[in-house]
Amino acid sequence: MAGINEVNRNESKMVVPLNTWVLISNFKLAYNLLRRPDGTFNRHLAEFLDRKVPANATPVDGVFSFDVFINRSTSLLSRIYRPAHGEEPQINIADLEKPVTAEVVPVIIFFHGGSFAHSSANSTIYDTLCRRLVGICKAVVVSVNYRRAPENRYPCAYDDGWAALNWVNSRTWLQSKDSKVHIYLAGDSSGGNIVHHVALQAVESNIEVLGNILLNPMFGGEERTESEKRFDGKYFVTIRDRDWYWRAFLPEGEDRDHPACNPFGPKGKILEGIKFPKSLVVVAGLDLIQDWQLDYVKGLEKAGQKVKLLYLEKATIGFYLLPNNNHFYTVMDEISAFVDSNC
Amino acid sequence: MNKRNRRDISGGAGNGGIRKSDFQSMSSGKAKIWEEEQDAGGGGGVDELLAVLGYKVKCSEMNDVADKLEQLEMVMGAAPNLLCDTVHYNPSDLSGWLQSMLSELNNPPNTLNYRMLQSHHIDDPLHVRAESSSVTTNPQQQQFETTQSARIYDDDSEYDLRAIPGSAAYPQTQDGELNRKRLKTSGGSNSAPPLLPSSSPIVGVAAAGTVSEPTRSIVLVDSHETGVQLVHTLMACAEAVQQDNLKLADALVKRVELLAASQAGAMGKVATYFAEALARRIYKIYPQDCLDASSSDILQMHFYETCPYLKFAHFTANQAILEAFATASKVHVIDFGLKQGMQWPALIQALALRPGGPPAFRLTGIGPPQADNMDALQQVGWKLAQLAEAIGVEFQFRGFVANSLADIDPSMVDVRPDEAVAVNSVFELHPMLARPGAIDKVLSSIKSMKPKIFTIVEQEANHNGPFFVERFNEALHYYSSLFDSLEGSGLVPPTQDLLMSEVYLGEQICNVVASDGADRVERHETLTQWRARMGMAGFEPVHLGSNAFRQASMLLALFAGGNGYRVEENNGCLMLGWHTRPLIATSAWQLIVSDSP
Repeated sequence: MAGINEVNRNESKMVVPLNTWVLISNFKLAYNLLRRPDGTFNRHLAEFLDRKVPANATPVDGVFSFDVFINRSTSLLSRIYRPAHGEEPQINIADLEKPVTAEVVPVIIFFHGGSFAHSSANSTIYDTLCRRLVGICKAVVVSVNYRRAPENRYPCAYDDGWAALNWVNSRTWLQSKDSKVHIYLAGDSSGGNIVHHVALQAVESNIEVLGNILLNPMFGGEERTESEKRFDGKYFVTIRDRDWYWRAFLPEGEDRDHPACNPFGPKGKILEGIKFPKSLVVVAGLDLIQDWQLDYVKGLEKAGQKVKLLYLEKATIGFYLLPNNNHFYTVMDEISAFVDSNC
Repeated sequence: MNKRNRRDISGGAGNGGIRKSDFQSMSSGKAKIWEEEQDAGGGGGVDELLAVLGYKVKCSEMNDVADKLEQLEMVMGAAPNLLCDTVHYNPSDLSGWLQSMLSELNNPPNTLNYRMLQSHHIDDPLHVRAESSSVTTNPQQQQFETTQSARIYDDDSEYDLRAIPGSAAYPQTQDGELNRKRLKTSGGSNSAPPLLPSSSPIVGVAAAGTVSEPTRSIVLVDSHETGVQLVHTLMACAEAVQQDNLKLADALVKRVELLAASQAGAMGKVATYFAEALARRIYKIYPQDCLDASSSDILQMHFYETCPYLKFAHFTANQAILEAFATASKVHVIDFGLKQGMQWPALIQALALRPGGPPAFRLTGIGPPQADNMDALQQVGWKLAQLAEAIGVEFQFRGFVANSLADIDPSMVDVRPDEAVAVNSVFELHPMLARPGAIDKVLSSIKSMKPKIFTIVEQEANHNGPFFVERFNEALHYYSSLFDSLEGSGLVPPTQDLLMSEVYLGEQICNVVASDGADRVERHETLTQWRARMGMAGFEPVHLGSNAFRQASMLLALFAGGNGYRVEENNGCLMLGWHTRPLIATSAWQLIVSDSP
């Protein structure tokens, strides 16, 4: 009914700045063009529409970047972002992997969002975000270009994350003065989901991860939660599109109670008694999957794990893409404190 | 803790609350460039925050863009599949992109009426007319739709790609099968991408003289110890050369040769070529006036076979040319570097398939003087004539020998008033930068030919900076990626083609590193730089769209296993790169049509 749609559009427009609304609506429109009802994805058009940016070994605003192969045979690339220490205007290619010099250097392994299907490590929105993270955390950021659905289903993204973690962990040039790499995992949307699963694997393999940062992480389940029903279609996201992405990512025939989607659901792993990294979970109050995200936080708490919930009542998805709202700054401050407190 | 400026942040520019220290919006040159254009054009600025993310939206247009988004959402909500076969252009120009979709929806598919596409040149009689593009069939269905005189090109890329010459194009196909495919396609439906010149006054023109800081895009292939040492030493050697410390440079170059010998793979090869070039520079053994034209053509043929760069160049340029020629009955292509004419069979075939029949096709091929007296140009022209005759395209060829494109007098080229002209340059413009005034003369000649379209393919790199070390480093990164991609072709043992391709690239390396002045012809510049130059010369971009993008991607899958090659869209141009490093860029141009009647 036209009337209700009117209300919906006005609602989302009222809670974000206009340019944010334009940005996210643009993604929504583009993404609608890409998802086909039969579960296939218009990958060519997706790559055509996605705005990308090359790495840049020339520092811009104190950060330079370059791309590396984590795994040559699978073409798994990551983009590395490093702070430029005000030295030369140009970083030598030979210096790209120069050892970090500070006492403690956090290394943030970042997994971009896109509901497992969209975006890449070189998408401009994520390149921009990673550069900010370098600045606020004085960290090296490693953004993983993981394989995407529907061409590559579970567990490909997790496998790639795991490969990246191992790679980072074994780089001597990333070691702090204590000869250890100080690793944090961070991600938004599907990236947040990947963070959880890679952290699990890390724990099981005794690789220490100092903290998990989950920004609007993508979780779900078979049940239709209150928030899903209440916010369906209201703030850029619909239940229908969420369902599409899970169908594209999960193994064929699996439902949304699969542990990849629902880690604390009926098929989830028990986290009691294991040394899971502390977590910072950011939940946007206008995100339709917030009940699943809140359940995730509760799940961690019940398992005796350390978790901080940052609930931003009036935030929508994507608020962290543009520095034009208070939520953005709140989150950046929290991330900075989270990564910093662990010297 | 929050000492931020909390200005009202709703609506409009959304620039409130930015904290300078950590969050200074990275203009990365883009927003600045667009803003400068706007100031020049008299409009408002672009939204800086969106510009950083790759979207150009004028602040004054934000509300309008929002309205368009809402409209589209309404329509899409009702009928989600309406736009599934649309061709898209230049997604950075949000307003234009949205408008083109709205226009498309206002003229739903299955209506065969002609319509003028929306643009700010709407009253201009020279403005391109094209038809509504939506195809309701997919290539698999191959439905036949009745056509009117000037129709649009099928997105059935399978055929187009097979017309590309080269042994790789005919893997195990018999000629029979090829003919069957050809027949099948000629009865097929056709949908053309509407030709949309930039509908927004924001064109990719940088403010005069300013190009944002160079982007050094590096994909680190080799983290191995020797690899790093090799690079270190090479760069130190270049540094020594620049400082005229030839004794040190000599010692270093010998060290490089040693290290390179024990370095397997692409890195070792690249290092060897760079070392050789450095040695020439140090010992002042400048390359003799390089290879003669025919040897150089042969090397390029090998390069053509081994990797997809040239095929991509030809393919994307041809796409733009085809679209520009959509309604013309007489067409004339002026090729600035005919060589073996590899670009043209596919175009001739595509023209043959044009519904309503092919146009009369004239090709003017330009080439350098040949050492022997054989008329190489005529030979190529003759072969193309045979092909054209075999498939029923009226064809005329003319060859021109010229030492330099700057020597060409436009009147010699015999451009006729009733024909649509395309000028095509694949890697032929950058040598013009070696002599002062040459490029301006060439561009001016081109303008007087009044081309419908001017296609340019160039290396995506800045190898023309004023400082030796800078050029050296840039070239090192660039050719490392290129060699790595050759390596990626996985040909073991390496074929003749692969080895010759390396020699071909080695010649370029030698020129960039060891030559100077008028001899240094490999003066590659980036798309950003070419855009500025073209804008100042009076050209505006013609955008390549999602259909060309998609077909180019499919071409890569066909010829290169798709493996590390990536097509990227950049403000209406297409680039081919190796993983995340763009290596060549195709752009298309037309003369700026003045607004006044």
